[in-house]
This record gives sequence, structure tokens and C-alpha cells, in this order.
Amino acid sequence: MHNGGSSSSLGPGGLDLTQAFFRPIISAAPPSPTKRHTKISVIGAGNVGMAIAQTILTQDLADELVLVDAKADKLLGEMLDLQHAAAFLPRTKIMADVDYAVTAGSDLCIVTAGARQMPGEARLNLLHRNVALYRAIVPPLVKYSPETILLIVSNPVDILTYVAWKLSGFPSNRVIGSGTNLDSSRFRFLIADHLDVSAQDVQAYIVGEHGDSSVALWSSISVGGVPILSFLHKQEIFYEKETLENIHKEVIDGAYQVIRLKGYTSWAIGYSVANLARTLLRDQRRIHPVSVIAKGFYGIEGGDVFLSLPARLGRSGVLGVANVHMNDEETRRLQSSAETILELTGQLEI
Amino acid sequence: MHKSGSSSSFGPGGLDLTQAFFRPILSAAPPSPTKRHTKISVIGTGNVGMAIAQTILTQDLADELALVDAKSDKLRGEMLDLRHAAAFLPRTKIIADVDYAITAGSDLCIVTAGARQMPGETRLNLLQRNVSLYRAIIPPLVKYSPETILLIVSNPVDILTYVAWKLSGFPSNRVIGSGTNLDSSRFRFLIADHLDVNAQDVQAYIIGEHGDSSVALWSSISVGGVPILSFLDKQEIAYEKETLENIHKEVIDGAYEVIRLKGYTSWAIGYSVANLARTLLRDQRRIHPVSVIAKGFYGIEGGDVFLSLPAQLGRSGVLGIANVHLNNEETQRLKASAATISELTSQLEI
Repeated sequence: MHNGGSSSSLGPGGLDLTQAFFRPIISAAPPSPTKRHTKISVIGAGNVGMAIAQTILTQDLADELVLVDAKADKLLGEMLDLQHAAAFLPRTKIMADVDYAVTAGSDLCIVTAGARQMPGEARLNLLHRNVALYRAIVPPLVKYSPETILLIVSNPVDILTYVAWKLSGFPSNRVIGSGTNLDSSRFRFLIADHLDVSAQDVQAYIVGEHGDSSVALWSSISVGGVPILSFLHKQEIFYEKETLENIHKEVIDGAYQVIRLKGYTSWAIGYSVANLARTLLRDQRRIHPVSVIAKGFYGIEGGDVFLSLPARLGRSGVLGVANVHMNDEETRRLQSSAETILELTGQLEI
Repeated sequence: MHKSGSSSSFGPGGLDLTQAFFRPILSAAPPSPTKRHTKISVIGTGNVGMAIAQTILTQDLADELALVDAKSDKLRGEMLDLRHAAAFLPRTKIIADVDYAITAGSDLCIVTAGARQMPGETRLNLLQRNVSLYRAIIPPLVKYSPETILLIVSNPVDILTYVAWKLSGFPSNRVIGSGTNLDSSRFRFLIADHLDVNAQDVQAYIIGEHGDSSVALWSSISVGGVPILSFLDKQEIAYEKETLENIHKEVIDGAYEVIRLKGYTSWAIGYSVANLARTLLRDQRRIHPVSVIAKGFYGIEGGDVFLSLPAQLGRSGVLGIANVHLNNEETQRLKASAATISELTSQLEI
């Protein structure tokens, strides 16, 4: 398996120019690795993993990018395809291997690997298969990068983030799931598209399970600082609760719709995860709805459950959860979301 | 097919907030389209087209991005997957349709659509099929954007650029093929990797046919301003001609290797074409090896043949060809490349 870095000879004929091409200056210290060297490892070189890797590369978020997958040919092909773009990108070391040793010293490990649901397969069975996969993935990642942040993307993301946390033994601030970061983006897109405003001016969270029981926090949506629901009341604009639920449903359906049309989703999750990577590695202290350990919040006490809450993120991972107000209904839905997840986790053997 | 832009009602329940949410200021002129509105259309939403579209989006090169393909489900899925990333990107209008009307007013049209070679199919037959495809693609593009620049990516790119030129009736400065821009990047990557220097400091052109008869311009390669061949001579470093040819061969094989390993190439060509798009639309006046009409250069007189030469590019397309010196051997190889292409083109019915 090829690694990046200077090959010993140029081409199959063996032409070695290194010693002669550049001359060192006098009294120089030998080259030492730069202190600031950001390394990101992406586990899984499928559509999602590669969209994430390529977006990270384009946005210049890392000095070193590592790909790991079980399929060696596919992996090498993807690595070469990225390396061939060298003339168009800032210099980034790109490496790949089936062996996890290549991930050593990663600041961030992004796990996208996961078994796909077979037709007719029970959700619990799929989960068991993914737990088995994670037993092969998480321990080596931890061994080679004991200080890393684990960012889990594979589905079902909330449960697999919990699994990763248990298998890693890491403190909970360093194990995060991509959660509802993307659902919230789809939500913000719908609202922004209607109001003809930039999606970045729409503050809107979807929290809870990344899935059918997610919770849209209508009571805290604001646009340019204007809270939507109280605005509707003040303007005496009538709306039905069902309308809001339909909008939320359109968000949940968004992913299924893309899968039905093109076979899978990739670009949006790529941008979503690159966005999280930037906040984490550049210590941006931004608030993202991501899957974190939710025990103790909003009356969730049943067990160690991971689900998405608006969390402030920085270089050391999760700094805390934003104290967003939830009305009674939202709190109930969140607790119910937690129970759904907890019931499934209880049946796993971790 | 949905278009983006404020949808008339919000969600399936029909909640209309537009009139009430934002209040206009006094004495304002009605909203008018911004004068600077860059529109790029990408024809073909396969792996190559989508890698190009996504890189253009990430690098913020356009205000409007239009996608066209014959397969409407796949097309719509890809459009939605890009739109869902709205919260993570600057606001870009993303539209898609099987109907070319959607490309109207494009500053740049990038054509990636093309038939794939069937097992045992002759090259000429594949070409004839692609010419038929281009008869359906080029005229509508021209009709809807008579001032556009056509950037051809489909293979065999040199011949299809010629075909696009003939079918469009455009002046030759506005029909360009992606040519050897990527081959040159792979070439620069190999040299840079060996010398442990940034690929952007390696000036190295591969020109001629984008394919097996491409020509590596060894005599004009320089690194940090140092011309490689005369450097080797001065340093009395012996090298065999075969060694140089093996390096060139490794470049040509680069694409085949990626195809063999992962099934196709996408990321590198995505960056390569986005790089050309930036030079063209931002009027950068940079020199790129791209497929242009080569008649009159380096003794090429046979017919209207397109092949890659180091061309200065800007907002009006090809501004001219850099007067790079070719030695006798390089000139001969280039002419042979031209003859190969010319022979095939003459068998087409255009």
C-alpha cells in the first residue's frame, strides 16, 4: 500500500534528484515536523466517507488526511484520485491503508463505515452487525490516537456513538455523533428558501434521534433574531399544528427522497461533517445539534443515552449543551426519543 | 421538476410568511437582479459531472449552478443532495432539469456527458455515438446561451472539442477541452512528490492528445525556476531517455490505474475543471494546457485539429498560446499526435 511522501526514485527507471536539487543553508537545524500539524482520519471510503474526505481537502482543513477501508483496491484508487489533484490544492499529505497504524496521531477520527440493512432485516440485527464492526474499528483507532476526538457518522448514529463511547473508554466530550446537524441544515434550507433569506440567518434546531422520532424545536426557531412562533401570534397569522408537523416530515423525508432518487446521499453529509470538523479543529466554539451524552438534560435520566442536543463544540470536543428552552411538548417528545434509543441499546451486549 | 427560489407556500400545509416577515424600506427601487451573476451549467450528472459541480460549489465559483442529465430521478436526487447543504455554503441557486432551457444565460457550460465504450467496440464507433449525443446537447446549449464558453470534458476530449466547435458555430476562443490539464497535474505531482516540493512550484506541461500519444515537454520543465534537463546536464547526473519515458508512462497509466482500482476517476478531474472554471470566470490570465484549435502552431497544418497546448485563459476564453519552446523530438511527437487525431476526425460526418 502506497503512502504519500517523497518516493525514493523518480519513475520506474530510478532517477534520484533529491540530494542535488536543493542546497541547504549553513547552520540550519535539521528539518523537524511543524508543531501545528492537523491530521484527520476517515474510516470508510464509500460515498459518504469520500464526500467528507474531499470536502475536507477542498476546504483546506487538514495538513494530513488518512483513509482506511477494508477494500484495498477501492481504497488505493480513491487515495490516488485525490493525490492526482495536487497541482490544484494546498499541499496536503494523503495516505491510505487497510492497517489502522496509518491513523496514528490523528486529531480527529471520522467513522463512516457501517453495514447496510439487508432487505427484511430486523433493525436489531443490523445493529448487532454494526457493533461487531465497531469492535474491529474503535479499539485500533484509540490505540493509535489516544487523544483523538471520535466523530461518528454511520447509522443509526445515536446508538453507534454510544457504542463507540463504550468501546473507546474516552471521556464523553471526545465522542460525538453527526446526529441531526444535517437534518437541521435541511430544515433551515426549507425555511430560508421560503423566506428568500440566507440559510445562515435561520436559527433552527432539530434535536433528539437522528431518525423518525427527531424533534423540531419550533419554539426556538428565529430568523434574523425574530422568533417565528411568537411572530406568527403577534401578526395574527393563523397556522395549524399539522402544518408544522408536515414541514418537519418533509425534513425527515428529505434523506429518503435523495436515496430513492440517486441511490444514496453523499454531498450534504460531506459538507455537514466538514463543517463539524472545522468547528472542532479550529476551536470555533459554535453550537451544533450533534449526538452527545444526554443524561441529565431535559429530564432524561433512564441510562447512558446519546442523542442530538445543541452542543457547543471546540478543540476539546463538547464544551457543553446550550440551555435552549423547550416547551412541554418538545420535552416530552425528546424524552420519548430517548426511550426509543435506550430500549434498543439495552439489548446490545457492550 | 422543482426550481429553487421562494416556494409559494411553506410546507405541504401551505403557510405563507413572505409578505409579513420582512418589511420594505421607503423609497426603495424594486429588487433587480444583481449585475454580477455568474452562472455555470454542468451537463451530465455522473461521477465526473457531480465531482465538478460539487467542487465548484465548495470553492464558491458561481452564483447559480444548473445541472442537466437525461436521467431525471438521478438528476433530481443530486440537485437535492447539494441543496440540503445550504446551511454550510454561501447562498447559491442550484437548479436542475432534463430540459436545456434551464441553462439559459450560462457564462460557462461544462459538458461531461458521453457514451461509454462497449466491450469490443471500435474507437470510431464509440466516437460516432458520441457525435450523435453531442448533436442533441450542443445546439440547445448554444441556443440558450449564445455567448457562453463551452468547456468539453467527455472523452475522447480532443475530438469532442472539435465536434462541439463545429456544431456550435462559435469562434474558437470559446470552445475549450479539459485536455491535458489533469495529466499535467499528475505529472507535476510525481515530480513534486519526489523532490518534496509543493506541486505548484513545478512547472511541467504534458500537451498534445489527452491519451496515449500525449507529449511530455521535458525540455521546458522547471522547478523553482530551475530547468530540469539542463540542470541534470550541468550537475552531470546521468539519466536514460527510457527513464523519462517511464515517468511519462506512469502519468498516462495514472488514470487507468484509478479506473482499475475504484471503477472510474472523479475527484482529480473535478478539481482540474473547477480550476479551469476559476481561471476563465475570474479572468485570471493563467496558462493551462487545454485542448484548443492547434492549426498554425508547431508546424501543425493538416486540418482543424484540437489538441492541448499551453494556453492563456481568461474571461473571453482562449487569449493565446504561450510560446513554449519545443525541441525537435517534441515537435515531431506533437505533429504525430495531431495526425492521429486528424485521421479520426476526418472519418466523422460533421
